[in-house]
Amino acid sequence: MPGGASSNGPDRHLVKPRPYALLAEITYRCPLHCPYCSNPVQYPTGRELETAEWRRVIEEAAALGVLQAGFSGGEPLLRPDLAELVAYARAAGLYTNLITSGLGLDAKRASALREAGLDSVQISFQAGEAALADGIAGARAHEKKIAAAQAAREAGFALSANVVLHRRNIDQLAEIVAFVASLGATRLELANVQYYGWAYLNRAHLLPTRDQVIAAREFVAGEKTRREGMEIFYVLPDYYEERPKPCMNGWGRRYITVNAVGGVLPCPTASSIPGLRFENVRERSLSWIWTESESFQKFRGEDWMREPCRSCPERERDFGGCRCQAALLTGEAENTDPVCTLSPHRSVVDAILQRAGAGEPSSEWTLRQNPPLSPSPAPAG
Amino acid sequence: MKAIDLHSRPALATGVRLQTDRVTGEPVLLSPEGIHVLNDTAHAIVLSCDGIRTIEEIAAALAEEYDAPVEALREDVLACLAELHQTGRIVIS
Repeated sequence: MPGGASSNGPDRHLVKPRPYALLAEITYRCPLHCPYCSNPVQYPTGRELETAEWRRVIEEAAALGVLQAGFSGGEPLLRPDLAELVAYARAAGLYTNLITSGLGLDAKRASALREAGLDSVQISFQAGEAALADGIAGARAHEKKIAAAQAAREAGFALSANVVLHRRNIDQLAEIVAFVASLGATRLELANVQYYGWAYLNRAHLLPTRDQVIAAREFVAGEKTRREGMEIFYVLPDYYEERPKPCMNGWGRRYITVNAVGGVLPCPTASSIPGLRFENVRERSLSWIWTESESFQKFRGEDWMREPCRSCPERERDFGGCRCQAALLTGEAENTDPVCTLSPHRSVVDAILQRAGAGEPSSEWTLRQNPPLSPSPAPAG
Repeated sequence: MKAIDLHSRPALATGVRLQTDRVTGEPVLLSPEGIHVLNDTAHAIVLSCDGIRTIEEIAAALAEEYDAPVEALREDVLACLAELHQTGRIVIS
């Protein structure tokens, strides 16, 4: 996950793992069908957590030391109790961030969220113009997002925009940046697709070529100096890196994800690791899960590491990379993230990059589907 | 980006919040960028960012409060605010 508990703070306290950020995936339902969604392709079964259950999760998270709560999904605005959950988070002293498609965010909803104490709104866009954007989202969404951005600004929020980059939109970066600037955003996150969930399934359609990635990086570097009043963040597709990303700043070290049905994960995509069982807030306290559960302890620290990570001086910086990526690409989560050129499995990544250079498959990508209908909690208040 | 200097009037950016970390008791700046822990000096500086006073005036006030030479403080205050400005945590007018 890009961003988050970075900067100078958290790493000054290395004594003990402490969660700084809670990602609350409050529903898996979404009006969009983006083919790169990081939600699991196989949704966990069960009923969505109810308002009172989320309240308990939020308060337990704050007691554990969490300072920031991100409300995400799916589309979090589909939960009628969103403002109530934000208010609980603010009352518990958390910084609250809404990560949304924008669909469902009108003036009334925006001001209700503002009154509830929401600190920040991040709206996703798929491209700089409707035809391409709606094709990617698999829904007529672009115009609604523009209206949502306006509603957010008028309610007094600083607008953040997020555009996921891939093969079909990365060449339109100039248009994308100009479009987002025209919305009055103060912050733009341009994050290349990371290959998990639906994105892993659609990788052959999404992975850009090396030339595309280089051109994009150069354009963003120039744009950062040219643009006034809008911070731009650019995240490379990690397959093109030579060292792995410090995924989640280390497993079970800084982040907690609670999914729509109460599963607690060290990262949003951890359910892709075979054989790992995740605890549920309906059965255990968040504190127990964080400190005691097998899933959170499994890759915490360095004892699990194999070579070349085990003796590598860089392990303190990158924590061996991403466990999900190791599992997906090498079959075993204990291996070094194969993005690393020191990994004996790097050839797997190189072969994928070579195929990306050869062109996009002629078949269509698979649009994200919603989970099978399950009863959602009764509307609150 | 507009250059920051001693005549700039700093204020916290919209969406940035100053709070106390309940675990450590330290002041932290919270924003979409993440968590930024403030030391005592940075805390005093951030508390002075009201969008009205210039950096020069903030440095002078802190120099008086802490009985420190204003020349040195000017440098510290400017460096601290330049970093916070760079990462979008403060805005200047």
